[in-house]
Amino acid sequence: MEGSDNRSGYSYEGIKAVNSEQWTVNSKTIIKTENTTKIFNKGKPDEVIAVNGLSIEISKGDFVVFKGPSGSGKTTLLSLIGCMSRPTSGRVIVGNRDVSRLPERFMTEVRRGTFGFIFQQFHLIKGITVCDNVMLPLYPTDVKPLRLRKMAEEILNSLNMKERKDFYVRKLSGGEQQRTAIARALINNPEIILADEPTAHLDTHLSDEFLAIMRKLNKQGKTIVIATHDPLVYEKDYVTLCIEMRDGRVRKMN
Amino acid sequence: MAFEKHRNILDYTLQTLLRRKFKNAGIILVFTFVIFIVGSIVFLSYSLKREARLLFKNSPDIIVQKMRAGRHELIPVTLGNDIMGIAGVSNAGPRYWGYYYDSGAKANYTILGISTFGLENNRMLTGRLPSAHERGVAAIGRGIADVRIIKKDIGSTLYLQDADGKWMDFNIVGIFESDSEILTDDLIVMSEDDFKYLVKMPSGTATDLAVNVYNETEIPTIAGKIKERFPDSRPILRDEIIRTYDAVFSWRSGLIVTLFIGALTAFIILAWDKATGLSAEEKQEIGILKAVGWETSDILEMKFWEGVVVSLTSFLCGIIIAYVHIFFMGAFLFAPALKGWSVIYPDFRLTPFIDFYQIAILLSVTVIPYIASTIIPSWKAAITDPDIVMRG
Repeated sequence: MEGSDNRSGYSYEGIKAVNSEQWTVNSKTIIKTENTTKIFNKGKPDEVIAVNGLSIEISKGDFVVFKGPSGSGKTTLLSLIGCMSRPTSGRVIVGNRDVSRLPERFMTEVRRGTFGFIFQQFHLIKGITVCDNVMLPLYPTDVKPLRLRKMAEEILNSLNMKERKDFYVRKLSGGEQQRTAIARALINNPEIILADEPTAHLDTHLSDEFLAIMRKLNKQGKTIVIATHDPLVYEKDYVTLCIEMRDGRVRKMN
Repeated sequence: MAFEKHRNILDYTLQTLLRRKFKNAGIILVFTFVIFIVGSIVFLSYSLKREARLLFKNSPDIIVQKMRAGRHELIPVTLGNDIMGIAGVSNAGPRYWGYYYDSGAKANYTILGISTFGLENNRMLTGRLPSAHERGVAAIGRGIADVRIIKKDIGSTLYLQDADGKWMDFNIVGIFESDSEILTDDLIVMSEDDFKYLVKMPSGTATDLAVNVYNETEIPTIAGKIKERFPDSRPILRDEIIRTYDAVFSWRSGLIVTLFIGALTAFIILAWDKATGLSAEEKQEIGILKAVGWETSDILEMKFWEGVVVSLTSFLCGIIIAYVHIFFMGAFLFAPALKGWSVIYPDFRLTPFIDFYQIAILLSVTVIPYIASTIIPSWKAAITDPDIVMRG
């Protein structure tokens, strides 16, 4: 076997070779960025520094909020942490590993094994059913189809979506679409859940419902990281770390 | 077991195809049409060539014609005896044949006076052939039987006008059936005596001479000797005739392909359009798949299956329709352009035969480029960071 997934860290021989250096990370720290910078269109007239020399640490079990106006770099930071893009410079460490220079294949493994994503626009695939959308992350794995379907149904059941499992996404309400997106984020039993502006398209009631689900998952031990500019989210008392961003830098952390 | 992963990806691919069913059905339709056209041409031209080869298998090794001013003219029968004097020649004899224009049917028939050489190997005859000196009887091709206003059959009478304008009647004693070789459909076979009388052929002459040799490897040498000894003759080798047929049918195939170049171009444009870009929806889907944990190789595998399903479905449909069209429906679309050298187009059925080499070539020039055109743009999208794909 090439490697094994122990959830909190990957032990691929290849990764070890790439990451010969060791970093001293607090045993509770699950995500760390070190002087991380992300520049889009570098060297071109439309160059944008989305994240500028950012260093943060997130502990296991934290409920973290990145807040700030549009263009402050919240989404970019989320995608760097979630192994969806690579920093231009600096490091991103997940568990004990620098993931910023991993080969694409291992980045995908880390992404699939560690993170569950909830996107602002939900990013569900419209022409397939709710259940199929939830199963998506585990299609390219060796989980048998029947088992996969059962797993998806169990998660949908826990989110009160049982009745909607065979519905096509386009027939769902905004709240139902978001619960489908949450179910998809949970099917691989991730340790960290990343959500980008999750309440942007929801009314207060549905936003509260979403936060209640996140709170419940946080209590179960999952680390929650949400990028938002919605006070309804960052003013909650169970938020353990609120990082205020502006122009790609940390303005305030509390 | 790794098998489950591939099965899951294939499952998802089929869902994707069904999701875009109208688009994919359109592609399959156009693709099938192109394969049908090209497949039909391949089947038909190959079968015709093969049929021609079978037909000439037992024909004379060498045909000797007499030439004057570059034109073929009647040959003295006595020349056969002189040719027999060449070492290695097993026999040499006259052949009597020509064309008859039927003004009623506006068709040319091939007429043949039966002699030692000719149709003894013909496997499609119903009834019998006239003998060399039997008068007033004929065997005709099914094409002639059908083209005449009054349906002809064995026992009916065929009327032909001789060179002086007088009518001759022939009792039909044999019919070459339609599912026969191409050459017999417009053929009228009569005795040597009737033929000579019909066309008023001078005594002691023939249309050409058929020569057989003992050793096949000596055919070119003997042809050379004939030419050397009789400079006004033209020896034609059987292999040359077969090569000519091959060339003719290849040329005609090319002509048909040219006629359908529009359809081919449309298909190439379609494939190119597919190759040069993905829709925003497709790009976003790839981004979503990557974001939720699909590897680039998983996405390429999905796109590979997508290409395989679409192109192989089209290929199989196209080939099956082409097969039915050529071997069971008489190639009604292309037959006039590919088969006929006469006004009568034989309504024959070719013996089903497939050249797998040509099928493999067809497969490689249609299916493989299509699969590549499906994979390449997806690969471009899939190697990009998923967040960029999703923002884009």
